[in-house]
Amino acid sequence: MKKLLCMLLALTMLFALCACGGKTETKGDPAADSVDADAVDADYVFLEEELGVETYAIGFRLGDEELADQVSGAIKALVVDGTFEKIASKPEYADIKDFLCLKPEDFADETLPERGSGDSSFTFKQGYDQDYPPYAYMLDDGTYGGFDIDVCKAVCEYLGWGYEGVPFNWDFKDQELNAKSCDCIWSGMTKEGREDKYTWGITYSNNTQGILVAADSDIETLADLAGKVVGVQIGTSAAEMLEGDQKALADTFGELKTYETYNIAFNDLKAGAIDAIAIDMTTGAYLVSTAS
Amino acid sequence: MSMAWSTMLLKMGEGMLHTCAIFALTVLFSLPLGIIVMLLRRSRFKPVQWITKIYIAIMRGTPLMLQLLAWYFGPYYLFGWSIRGYRFTAIIIGFTMNYAAYFAEIYRGGIEAIPNGQYEAAHVLGYSKVQTFFKIILPQLVKTILPSVTNEVITLVKDTSLAFALAYNEMFAIAKQIAAKETSFLPFVVAAVFYFIANYVVAFVMERIEKKFDYYK
Repeated sequence: MKKLLCMLLALTMLFALCACGGKTETKGDPAADSVDADAVDADYVFLEEELGVETYAIGFRLGDEELADQVSGAIKALVVDGTFEKIASKPEYADIKDFLCLKPEDFADETLPERGSGDSSFTFKQGYDQDYPPYAYMLDDGTYGGFDIDVCKAVCEYLGWGYEGVPFNWDFKDQELNAKSCDCIWSGMTKEGREDKYTWGITYSNNTQGILVAADSDIETLADLAGKVVGVQIGTSAAEMLEGDQKALADTFGELKTYETYNIAFNDLKAGAIDAIAIDMTTGAYLVSTAS
Repeated sequence: MSMAWSTMLLKMGEGMLHTCAIFALTVLFSLPLGIIVMLLRRSRFKPVQWITKIYIAIMRGTPLMLQLLAWYFGPYYLFGWSIRGYRFTAIIIGFTMNYAAYFAEIYRGGIEAIPNGQYEAAHVLGYSKVQTFFKIILPQLVKTILPSVTNEVITLVKDTSLAFALAYNEMFAIAKQIAAKETSFLPFVVAAVFYFIANYVVAFVMERIEKKFDYYK
């Protein structure tokens, strides 16, 4: 009897929590009286004015030039043979392909590494943030994937290396790299501001940082953000930009809230607790694409 | 929601196994280690007592997450050793050392709660020191400390989520990954239910054990 009662209580708790979750998802659209789940996609838009452009590249341990060159060479070869474009075009990676900066014609004259030219006994360890879709995240089937992971696997396959994924906590990426638990940091990492910290591989994306707002909000320009609450994920390029080049803009905000993940920030935006999110456009597009 | 329910529950169940592994090994090692720490803490040789006091102060006075980081990255930064494949060991060491300190203090509280008169009475009745401990002190000790130990063990179930700092895929880390992928809070709700069930089992077992020790009534 007591057990039954406890199970009942547990179930009630679960339903109560579920009910709460449901409310937060729709509360952000005061304009929409009847919330149409399909229409949510269009409910979040980027401001036309951008925060700035930053480039994504692969970070290797200082002094690992040879490894960086090998990986960069293989990526160029994959760009030339079309594999790179094919990976970028996967629908689940949202807008990624619009921001890539590698074109086959750029490497037409270069001597690129041959397929299978790597040391087959070598296992390349890719360090990545497992919570950063669409670059590296958990897929529908529970395995790790994402744009950066796909490209890295393709590189290893091209060179004939073994592949090992090392998911890590982004806050401690440098310690993991220095302690050699991985060979590189490769999950949408911004090069700007970190030029001297790593030996850099190829720059593969010019990622635009923007401001994501609800479509029905009155914010239309960066100046409208004055006095508003803006969310950002800790340690991201958007966060660094707001502390660096865009510090003057950040000072006009009512508050700049730092989140552990963009997911929580986005839920806060949906719930109407914050007014905007500063985020790179590819990650933002992914968030909006899943919000239904 | 595009990830199937079954996949989500399977992945989180897998995470729960990792969580249980941390939990079981920590309990297994820290309960006995706590006795040793308690004995050292009560040692009459002052330097040993001081060192143990400092150890307990550090373990209780710094966040467990920082301790985990220190155990994991310490060997590399201090000695330049390779830490490949050492992740899980570091987590178990970190949790065990931390919880042993708490358990030691709980044990000490239990022992010091027993009035001196009982030792004197035992002495008068001709009990040896060992007999006094096992026949008179220990049976009362276990009874007194059990509720505090239950508290600590339940806290441990929830503390296992701190292993995320070392990117160990325990249940909460998996919940976070699925939440990031789905931009949904649902995985957290599932995580709450998983923790609740686990703690309910722990509380149930501990209650049973307490009943077992419910003598002197």
